[in-house]
Amino acid sequence: MLRKLSTFGMAALVLCSSGSIALADKLQDVLDRGYLIAGSGSTNAPWHFKDENNELVGFDIDMLRLIAKGLFDDPTKIEFVNQSGDARIPNLATDKVDVTCQFMTVTAGRAQQVEFTHPYYREGVGLMLMANGDYANHAELLAAGDDVTVSVLQNVYAEEMVHAALPEASVDQYESVDLMYQALNSGRSAAAATDQSSLSWFIAQNPDRYLDAGYGWNPQSYSCAVKPGDQRWLNFVNSVLHEAMTGVEFNTYAASFKKWFGAELSPPKIGFPVEFK
Amino acid sequence: MEIVRAFDAIWAARWPILDGIANTLLISGLSILFGTALGVGVGLLLSYGGRIVRFFVRVYSDFLRGTPVFVLILACFYILSVIGLQLTAFQAGIFALMLFCSSHVGEIVRGALQAIPPGQTEAAKSIGLTFRTTFFSVLLPQALRQILPTWVNTATEIVKASTLLSIIGVVELLLSVQQVISRTYLSLELYFFAGFVFFLINFVIEKAGRIVERKIAIPT
Repeated sequence: MLRKLSTFGMAALVLCSSGSIALADKLQDVLDRGYLIAGSGSTNAPWHFKDENNELVGFDIDMLRLIAKGLFDDPTKIEFVNQSGDARIPNLATDKVDVTCQFMTVTAGRAQQVEFTHPYYREGVGLMLMANGDYANHAELLAAGDDVTVSVLQNVYAEEMVHAALPEASVDQYESVDLMYQALNSGRSAAAATDQSSLSWFIAQNPDRYLDAGYGWNPQSYSCAVKPGDQRWLNFVNSVLHEAMTGVEFNTYAASFKKWFGAELSPPKIGFPVEFK
Repeated sequence: MEIVRAFDAIWAARWPILDGIANTLLISGLSILFGTALGVGVGLLLSYGGRIVRFFVRVYSDFLRGTPVFVLILACFYILSVIGLQLTAFQAGIFALMLFCSSHVGEIVRGALQAIPPGQTEAAKSIGLTFRTTFFSVLLPQALRQILPTWVNTATEIVKASTLLSIIGVVELLLSVQQVISRTYLSLELYFFAGFVFFLINFVIEKAGRIVERKIAIPT
């Protein structure tokens, strides 16, 4: 009996160990490889785009470089895989990338296909005004009622989205971001409504020309994503992002935030960890 | 004003854009080259293969022609990697366009060969020509004249289809221009520029086709 049990135990042990060999250990794989294979796009400022020197830059890219820095103490040990938004999930599923940071909105549906990390940005919709325009903030726009026209990117929900913030405003829909901004420049609209990050970036690029109306709505979380089923790798990426927002890499994160969104972040309060307050 | 800004933006990004153009030319050139070689084989099998061979080649051709190039590109990039064949985005893209091109060229070749009256093959046989000689001296020269205009058409289709490779991250002309747009917000001007360059590429291909057509035309 004992013998049978021990044989069974051995067999189980062999099975288990072979099972764990087959289990992915992405962290070790990446360390052995010597560089991170990172998925992101190349056509969306300020998230991931080519600068004048044709270098890939942006907030997503900075997050990926932080991960590379965490792995190899060298933010340049990274190979970028250029992918479209549609390719984010398939490229993770087929192991073409180790991790994707590409302004990916966390949704419950997507969370069934990939594993999301801690969010590293809270996106929302904001309103941009001309600095020398008739309105200075959201309250004034609201008070002006239906005198206000808001330009917005063409979308099925565009009208509904603007009315959530300005119920009486009339809505002009445009096909591209530049046309939307042009409407604002030419006075056809009093405000442009679009992603807060795009607005912040555009305002930072054109100092003193535009204003942020200071009102945000439609929140969504942006997270990096990894292939499901590798807890150690997920934990690692989470640790890097978490410490970037609250710990040793805070200064790097804050510098990047300032660079792309034009806003200063105050350092987390020393003492009791802020995230558990 | 905006036009000047657009020219400035294009000039500032001339090297990446030229890289994109080079990629578009390379992708299209290789896909058309391999696709045509494979397609001629497909066309010959469709015309002269046995029943069973013809059946399978017909399925191949119909399947590829009936599938959007977009789906074909995604399939080559993702499905092949699931079965363990790791192609780069560039290789997978060329592979997909080559398959697409081959199915079209196959039909063009089959059509051209079938358009030649069977009397000619019979006549060739009756004066004792082998199949090889019949094919190369009697059928092919006539078929080529039929093939060329439609083949040029397929070539321009492939150039245009190469823009779809941007979905799997190949930085061809369109994506390289989109990268400039994301920085400058000059979408109308720059999309027009990209369209114009594509037109130029296809215009050159079409002109070259016309010249060859004239060269091989039967003198009247």
